[in-house]
Amino acid sequence: MKKNKFFLFIIIFLLALIIPFTHVKAASDNYLQKVKDKGTLVVGTSADYPPYEFTSKENGKTKYVGLDVSIAEKFAKDIGVKLKIRNMNFDSLLVALETHKVDMVIAGMNPTPERKTSVDFSKIYYTGNQYMLINKSDAARFKKIEDFKGKTIGAQTGSLQYSLVKQQMKGNDVKGLAKLNDLVIALQSHKVNGVAMEEATAKAFAENNRTLKVINPGFDIDASQTGSAIGFPKGADSLVEAANKTIDEIKKDNLINKEYIPAAAKNMTTNSKKNSMMNYWTYFAKGIEYTLIITVVSVFFGFVLGTLFALMRLSHNKLVHGLAVSYIEFVRGTPLMVQVMFVYFGIGAVIQSLPALVAGIIAVSLNSAAYVAEVIRSGIESIPSGQTEASRSLGMSQKETYRYIIIPQALKNIWPALGNEFVTLIKESSIVSIIGVTDLMYQMQLVQSATYKGVIPIFIAMVIYFLMTFSLSKVLGYFEGKMKHA
Amino acid sequence: MPNLIEVQNLGKSFGDNEVLKNISENVEKGQVICVIGPSGSGKSTFLRCLNVLEKPSVGKVLFEGNSLTGIGERELNNLREKMGMVFQSFNLFPNMNVIENIKLAPLRVKKMADAEATQQAEKLLERVGLADKAEQYPQSLSGGQQQRVAIARALAMNPEVMLFDEPTSALDPEMVGEVLKVMQDLAESGMTMVVVTHEMGFAKKVADEIWFMADGCIQEKGTPETFFKTPKTARAQDFLSKILN
Repeated sequence: MKKNKFFLFIIIFLLALIIPFTHVKAASDNYLQKVKDKGTLVVGTSADYPPYEFTSKENGKTKYVGLDVSIAEKFAKDIGVKLKIRNMNFDSLLVALETHKVDMVIAGMNPTPERKTSVDFSKIYYTGNQYMLINKSDAARFKKIEDFKGKTIGAQTGSLQYSLVKQQMKGNDVKGLAKLNDLVIALQSHKVNGVAMEEATAKAFAENNRTLKVINPGFDIDASQTGSAIGFPKGADSLVEAANKTIDEIKKDNLINKEYIPAAAKNMTTNSKKNSMMNYWTYFAKGIEYTLIITVVSVFFGFVLGTLFALMRLSHNKLVHGLAVSYIEFVRGTPLMVQVMFVYFGIGAVIQSLPALVAGIIAVSLNSAAYVAEVIRSGIESIPSGQTEASRSLGMSQKETYRYIIIPQALKNIWPALGNEFVTLIKESSIVSIIGVTDLMYQMQLVQSATYKGVIPIFIAMVIYFLMTFSLSKVLGYFEGKMKHA
Repeated sequence: MPNLIEVQNLGKSFGDNEVLKNISENVEKGQVICVIGPSGSGKSTFLRCLNVLEKPSVGKVLFEGNSLTGIGERELNNLREKMGMVFQSFNLFPNMNVIENIKLAPLRVKKMADAEATQQAEKLLERVGLADKAEQYPQSLSGGQQQRVAIARALAMNPEVMLFDEPTSALDPEMVGEVLKVMQDLAESGMTMVVVTHEMGFAKKVADEIWFMADGCIQEKGTPETFFKTPKTARAQDFLSKILN
């Protein structure tokens, strides 16, 4: 009987997790009207893909620029709303679209048949070639696809280039990474021998790195695969129609070649001129700010919830105890990265206005709570039962006993373990960068994109993380010393 | 004398192990009772059942006519206030200094004003001869001093009865005397006391009645003179011959 009940809790718990999936889609096509009603067009993109989309610094502020951004701007203007860019991993774009985190996706995305099964596309607005970025030192060896035989090729995961390499370079290993910057680092450190890239992007990287070179390896490409189109949620015909009208106008006036690409090129040259890290300190400062916000808020809620779960786990009520055990085991048994994505995309499908920062904080707090709960439980169990007996024999209630006797002593015992958890939190919070929270990790990637430099920003971020965790350890150590007297 | 504590058909089992068997006894107001007997006879469990730190498996414990079992947590707390308890291992709160230990329950449970609680605590410390240790933490005190603080802490709630669970067993021999002295003073002041102890000298001198326990039962009881001189049961004779030689 006891066992049955326990399994019932687990099933209820799992159901509670699954239910959010069941009502994701709103069928009727009032998409355009909805966008007009809220007055902003939320556009998802992956801003490490010059000249399509990338970041530029203007008067100390980060701006999203590139030909896709120009198109999005025109489209927003045409339908009379404001534009809001949401930057995230290329991989996450379609999920964000399906879960209505964004109204549309523009990211140099090719309307492949596979993608068309889950989202709708506009007309093709631009067609580019597929090139290969290589180290200049290898220029003599690699000219065509055949020359790469047996070598490792890098490509952005989820991208057209990735499938191209898979299909047309069967004898090669493909190394898939989410960020182009990381792929270029891999190339420079000879982890891969070439990175398949869209023409304009590849050229941009080569221009900014004297050790790199662009070649056209001769991928066999059909037109539908090389063209870029705007992605919309399935069934959003009204938005697709409106976008097609904008694209028609752009094509009629040849705006992409006449205005958008030259503007993007100008931004790219300003970028490459200001490659010194000193110019980007505001990026890192903002990253530190967000990392600290996430950590501090998550430490607070993690501690409060953790205490609650610890007390629930120690409860004699089987239901309460079972819930706490299920929660703790489940959270500790799944990766933080998955939890972050689940909260943002899963819960976010129900509460669509859930900002990435809040989603990140929720996920990190909930995760931390499970670990803190176990630390606190061990602390409470380490207090001899004589303490409770002495307190109860004085007529103090269970609550008063916990408050004045058990918790203060437990806290002192677990302080080092708790401190360790908080230090870990600073580091683990870096995972929220995958859903586009502008923490230190995310900002570091922006600097990589903006400067075309791979390793130095990583090194700077590493040092900053260390300084933060080291100072926190010192502060915690100070309080630990103070508590020793008590 | 009215009965302060009435024990009716008390039994306690831990799993299959029956530790207390059908005990019915009364403690009168002002009485000092010493419970003695061999290890494992159930003395401590019996004492802990009196204020329901152990929940009786069967039977009842009444305090001033009120049942301590089958009542709500709040009522139980109210009754426990009046039953001070002193433990073998002192159980002072290490996160508080001596005077805070004593003031805690009056402040939190009786909602006494801080000045009043401090004054009372200082008086109690004087009574147990530790007026100069008020600001010290328990770890810095000797065992005998800690136990005297524990007695003062229990007295701070103005209990009707004091329960002592082998209060000197964990002490170095030279410290036993100071604790027994405090207990004797307390007995002479008229406090009702139930003392589980191995200190036969103390029992002889202070107790009004000796309860001899073995195998989860109270085998015999009587005044110290009759019990120690002419124990009736074979168990008691055997026990006394072992500890007195």
